[in-house]
Amino acid sequence: MIDEDIAGLLGRVSLGDRDAFAELYRQTSPKLFGICLRILGNRGEAEEALQEIYVKIWQRAGRFSQGQAAAGSWLAAIARNQAIDFIRARKPAANVIDEAYDLADPAADPEKLAVVRAEGRRIDACMEELEEDRAEAVRRAYVEGLSYQELADVFAVPLNTMRTWLRRSLLKLRECMER
Amino acid sequence: MTTPTPEGRDFRRDEVIAGEYVLGVLSADDRRKVEARLASDRNFAAMVDRWQSNLSSFDDAYDPVVPPPRTFSAIERQLFDTLRSEPVRSRGLWHSLALWRGLALASFAALLVMGASMAGLFETRSTGASLVAELSGKGSAIDLVARFDRASGRLQVTPVAASQAEQKSLELWLINGSNPAISLGVLPQTGEGEIAVPSTFRSRISAGSVLAVSVEPLGGSPTGVATGPIIALGKARNL
Repeated sequence: MIDEDIAGLLGRVSLGDRDAFAELYRQTSPKLFGICLRILGNRGEAEEALQEIYVKIWQRAGRFSQGQAAAGSWLAAIARNQAIDFIRARKPAANVIDEAYDLADPAADPEKLAVVRAEGRRIDACMEELEEDRAEAVRRAYVEGLSYQELADVFAVPLNTMRTWLRRSLLKLRECMER
Repeated sequence: MTTPTPEGRDFRRDEVIAGEYVLGVLSADDRRKVEARLASDRNFAAMVDRWQSNLSSFDDAYDPVVPPPRTFSAIERQLFDTLRSEPVRSRGLWHSLALWRGLALASFAALLVMGASMAGLFETRSTGASLVAELSGKGSAIDLVARFDRASGRLQVTPVAASQAEQKSLELWLINGSNPAISLGVLPQTGEGEIAVPSTFRSRISAGSVLAVSVEPLGGSPTGVATGPIIALGKARNL
């Protein structure tokens, strides 16, 4: 996907241009369908999700602003969110965000975290600073849309251990990206 | 400083929740809570945006797979419906409008000649409930069979083969004698499906009416008359 072209098409779509919408679909649907297939693992559901995704893209194109995100990433985020909503509806996961988070980690200094700087590092370099299995868990959570329980099963660790792995990894990544 | 302040803890907790949301590990309920907060908390929304942008390079892991054509038809149906009595004006620039207009004149001249030469080939008296027309064009990549059910007002168009470029729409026209062609709507992108004929036009479809399909800019003719080449046409006869 070439972001400039896609951003231009999104601009036209936001004005109700159906030609632009068809062209946007032609250029971007294989990638977004790939996302749906990977997360949902089922063609029928992936097609259904893709339909919802492009309805949302048509409705939300006006909210895309260049500079906020690359156009391709913006579309991929809509697709991932839709696919993850589908899979969580099919395979429910435990609620966690109202519980206590164990984030104690002497390596991460909140004062450093609070400093907002231009991000000089790519995520790949920061992923290499994580232990290998934790980096792998972060990547698979994202790419496959796995829940904490599924990740715990895949990596054969207790659920709470997996939660701690991912949460501390997220803090380390944040700290690394801003270093 | 080695002990996180309560503020620091909340900040870190928010960063983690934003990251968990973008990773996708949260439950459906938790996702709705995060989204509710996104709408009201700009700082938190900025954290989510930042994770979205940081992690987007993982998107490279997704291999593209071309979806089946029916998916786009379903999207078009859901968004636009196909019931349209007249074509929507295209907002985009149509660079070769003059060319298409020239083609349109040529096409309609040909159509009228053919229409005249075909007169009398089919039964013209009709009280039957349904009509059928086989639409075909010389050297055309597409043949269509149109069935009109007078009771329901549904005009069903079935392609025998459809291989038109995706960026174009197929628009269906009704021509009675020397009257100007009336747009019956744009066929779904696959060339398949039904068009509900507006009630004002139903009485005008009878044995002897000519149905034609033209290739138009996506979304239909920008001018209200056929602008592209006629790829198929035929006369309605009784079933």
